[in-house]
Amino acid sequence: MITIQGISKEFKEGIAGKRVMALEGLNLEIKRGEVFGFLGPNGAGKSTTIKILMNLIYSDTGKAEIGGKDVRNPESRKIVGYLPENPYFYDYLTADELLWFGGKTAGMVSKTIRTRSDFLINKVDLQNARKRPLRTYSKGMFQRAGLALALIHDPDVVILDEPMSGLDPIGRKMVGDLLIELKGEGKTIFFSSHILNDIERFSDRAGIIIGGKLRLVDTLSNLLSDGKNLEEVFMREVAISEKGTSL
Amino acid sequence: MTLWPVALITFKEGIRNKALYGITLIALMLFGATALIATMIPREVGKVSIDMALSTISFTGLLLVFFVGINLIAKDLDKRTIYTVLSRPISRSQYIFGKFLGMSLLIIVTMSALSVMAMSAIVLLKATHAEYFGRFSWSLITLAILFNMLMLILLSAISFFFASFTTSSFITLVLTIITYIIGHSISGVKALVESSPQEIGITVSPVTLKMVKAAYYLFPNLSLFDIKLQAAHALTVTSSFVMWTVVYGLVYIALAITLAALIFRKKEFP
Repeated sequence: MITIQGISKEFKEGIAGKRVMALEGLNLEIKRGEVFGFLGPNGAGKSTTIKILMNLIYSDTGKAEIGGKDVRNPESRKIVGYLPENPYFYDYLTADELLWFGGKTAGMVSKTIRTRSDFLINKVDLQNARKRPLRTYSKGMFQRAGLALALIHDPDVVILDEPMSGLDPIGRKMVGDLLIELKGEGKTIFFSSHILNDIERFSDRAGIIIGGKLRLVDTLSNLLSDGKNLEEVFMREVAISEKGTSL
Repeated sequence: MTLWPVALITFKEGIRNKALYGITLIALMLFGATALIATMIPREVGKVSIDMALSTISFTGLLLVFFVGINLIAKDLDKRTIYTVLSRPISRSQYIFGKFLGMSLLIIVTMSALSVMAMSAIVLLKATHAEYFGRFSWSLITLAILFNMLMLILLSAISFFFASFTTSSFITLVLTIITYIIGHSISGVKALVESSPQEIGITVSPVTLKMVKAAYYLFPNLSLFDIKLQAAHALTVTSSFVMWTVVYGLVYIALAITLAALIFRKKEFP
């Protein structure tokens, strides 16, 4: 469902234009109906990968496809729902208007948008705030409105960049429940996190990315097969990447 | 059809912006001032009231473009609201064209509302000082308002062009203001340097002459759209002038917005 082949991305930083390799030869295949957790420390390349998938930035080499369509083709996003890290929306729009926008751009008719909006607004518990301007929302409410927007067109693929970051326990539970529900519906989910527990709870398969390089990809059961927990596996990979030696 | 959702949220975001209340308040105060000042110049009440009312529309229109309009695109980039839009199945060009459509709609609606206020002020003064409104033409006043709208839409298109490659809203604002100032005065400056400036004690070097000519062809000639004087004095405006000015405005808008879309295709949002 999601294919990433040999993707590399270099950024130039500062006035001197110092080159920083954000992604190096990334290969990844995510199957239909799979929940894939993308784990890595801050600045590892998780968001860069997601932004390439959403065509917000362009890869220097390689290609990426969603549902068999090149990510540079806007049509590829018809089956994708995306929640950015720390989403920010238009100040003076309401959640209802945001969802109308999301539905219309995905080609939905107004009646279906209304029905789907009612369902999602209830799901993310924004019934009392749906007519309020988004600028009055708290961080958690932003995140929930963003989730509703990502799901308005009932996408087959859901891409979430740090969906739990900065949420209170209630918000975390709500997002967690939603992930489980989406998984039950057979959606393909690609989510990034640096929270080990989230990856362990929700993923079928996980990838560990450090310093722009994918260090490890496997099913959760294989990763944790030696009785190790994910933290140990992750720290081992961090140590290998930093020192070039195993602990 | 894909443009419409982007255009509508842009329009809604703009029309609900609190800065718009401030701009409307300034306009109301200036229209009040028009009524007061015009009556202080008894024989010229007609000309002064039309000139001041149209100037108020121009001034508040500029405030709208500089402080509401530019933010509508620049804030998308500054605050990354653009992720919300570009993650939908729309292309970069559709985003730019949709955004521009929304901005144009905002200018047309706001300017229409301000024009109603301006015309009300003129109607009021005309009713109380009918004898000083001898040479008077509603069609010229309407034309002046429409030309002003076209100029503001052109200025917005230019702000889109700047926003497509600059990194902050402040730079876009500064470049747009500079373009407005040059665009408004370049035709006069060109006429001066090409005539006989030495007669009035000004020496123009060949380099300056070339620079002024280059600026004349590069920057939009915004003074073309300013027919306040003709409206105030009910002077004749030929239909060919109207037609060519509209064509000039539309071509310039199309060029600026197409260039913005082309540059925007390459832009990345890390």
